[in-house]
Amino acid sequence: MHPANLVTPSTAAAPTIALQAESISKAFVSGKQRTQVLDGLSLHIDSGELTLISGPSGCGKSTLLAVLSGLQKIDGGRVLALGSELGQLDLHALERFRLQHTGFVFQGFNLFPALSAFEQVELPLNHMGLSRQEARERARSSLEEVGLSHRMKLRPSELSGGEKQRVAIARALAKEPELLFADEPTSALDAANGQMIIDILHRIARTHGTTVLCVSHDPRLVVHADRVLAMEDGRILSDQRNHAPISASKGISS
Amino acid sequence: MVALARKTLVYEWRRFLPAILAVGFAGLLQLLQLALVLGIFGSTSLYITGSSADVWIGYPGTQSVGQGRSIDGDVESRILMDPAVQRVEPYIWVDGDWRGTTETGGVSVFVSGIDPRADGLMFSKALPPDLRARLAQPDAVVVDRSDLDQLGVGIGQTATINGHEVRVVGISSGLRALGGVNVLCSLDTARRLDSDAEDIGPTYLVAKLRDPTQADAVAIRLRGDTAFGPYTTWSAHHFARLSVRYWMFDTGAGAGVLFLAGIVFLVGAVITSQTLIAAVNGSVREYATLNALGVGVGALRRVVLEQAFWVGALGLLGASVLGVVLLLLARSQNVPVVLTLPAALGCIVLVMGLAAVSGLAAMRSLRAADPATLLR
Ligand SMILES: Nc1ncnc2c1ncn2[C@@H]1O[C@H](COP(=O)(O)OP(=O)(O)O)[C@@H](O)[C@H]1O
Ligand SMILES: [Mg+2]
Repeated sequence: MHPANLVTPSTAAAPTIALQAESISKAFVSGKQRTQVLDGLSLHIDSGELTLISGPSGCGKSTLLAVLSGLQKIDGGRVLALGSELGQLDLHALERFRLQHTGFVFQGFNLFPALSAFEQVELPLNHMGLSRQEARERARSSLEEVGLSHRMKLRPSELSGGEKQRVAIARALAKEPELLFADEPTSALDAANGQMIIDILHRIARTHGTTVLCVSHDPRLVVHADRVLAMEDGRILSDQRNHAPISASKGISS
Repeated sequence: MVALARKTLVYEWRRFLPAILAVGFAGLLQLLQLALVLGIFGSTSLYITGSSADVWIGYPGTQSVGQGRSIDGDVESRILMDPAVQRVEPYIWVDGDWRGTTETGGVSVFVSGIDPRADGLMFSKALPPDLRARLAQPDAVVVDRSDLDQLGVGIGQTATINGHEVRVVGISSGLRALGGVNVLCSLDTARRLDSDAEDIGPTYLVAKLRDPTQADAVAIRLRGDTAFGPYTTWSAHHFARLSVRYWMFDTGAGAGVLFLAGIVFLVGAVITSQTLIAAVNGSVREYATLNALGVGVGALRRVVLEQAFWVGALGLLGASVLGVVLLLLARSQNVPVVLTLPAALGCIVLVMGLAAVSGLAAMRSLRAADPATLLR
């Protein structure tokens, strides 16, 4: 572990809690086999920060992310996202909640082969009730923010892996969500591109006040997060804060 | 709005091509079959479509021209009382047994006794004026060129119908009948040939109206008066349809059309739905991502349905172009093909229905677009 990564109490006004899990449990049953992935886990995620959940493959990180973002139901406990208890929402209400408040970035880029980068970003905005003008404006500025203003017309087949992931980030960012979830956003990319992605995610947390929850087994990302939760076997082992993150200042200046 | 359905269709056209072809061929097959059947059975209404009468008066319950029974000739005065009617003329149908000069055995013939005047209504469009004039001679008949071999006669020769001698005074074309041979003669000749003592009046009365567009209204108005014995009225258009429909279903051809429509629909729907399902499966992770971002399942379903709609529309376009070319080709080769508006609409409904059913089937595979599966 890095000796510098010690818990630092926040000096500014107490940050609000964006996500809260209270003794949540989740098990998968396949056939006769029952896998208890999460067992009485509790945590809270502060808003406006980049929180990284790290840990070995199979320890339950993605499951935790799915539960916190309302993509998966839990067996027991409570999840509060932006003050709403997700377990109380029906399928339609969950869709509305995600539409208004959340963005997602996945390991695979999941871009439509037929659409240009610009259209990929614009498409979800069409369903948010924005005017055509506003949607286009947001799509353009999001793509600019991830450094793809010169690539807006290209289709996924004409983009590199790193560029595709940046389009995926722009797609999530353009919704201006309070919560941004990223599951292994760098594991399909090389080191340089992975670095760029985590920088962008960090900058989004800083400049937009977005709560970014990132899940990764990649230990290189640890230094870029505001807070690192180490997970193993469905439990949080440690909770550490990085103070004065180096990447943050870089993010603000650009 | 980003046109996801259309852009995907254009970009991945190779993937959608089998569905478009399936839909197109389904439409084309159905179109050609209908056109052929209508063309062939259209000859059963030649008596109506080849004449210029607007309203037909005949025995109640008659289902096709060949099945008429005689009505009271006095009905004519009742019809003429209606101010919309300009002119009425009798038409006599006699089923006959033809014996030619050469040994042909008995040939079943449909004798049409018509008014041979130059302005007569019956067969005014199908019979040239000079041949019509010759029918005024006693016992003169006109037959179709294509039936000469079967009848065993040539022009100027004699034969007998129901034991009465007749003479072939002219040979026409376009008078072919279905299930028998048409023989045209004057009303007087027809009365002599009729061996049925019960037939006292004409089989039909046909009327010309001052305003032909009023045919339906006048036909309804003239119905229901029983003072002159049983009779009923149809507009020419209605009676022609009745005749064709009777033949379609009496011969089983209609059932054949429906059967093929069913098969075509089934095969087309299987291919089309499989193609659309494959397309949905190919983009299932992208759909799931949209759903994770909050785009509702309903909106995703609309994308799939829209894709199905475009597949149907493109298939229809192809079928229409090819269909018109093939129908023109058939016409030029004297193959009897007729395309009516209802038939064309039927094909459109079939094709778009097929596409819609396939789209609904493909919508089911959107269930796999569960965003939780993206988190592994
Ligand atoms: N849908 C599922 N059905 C059955 N088991 C699952 C399912 N999803 C995850 N698991 C199991 O849960 C455990 C944790 O998975 P996951 O949360 O994806 O781990 P991580 O993201 O940390 O690699 C694994 O053992 C995995 O096999
Ligand atoms: Mg995972």
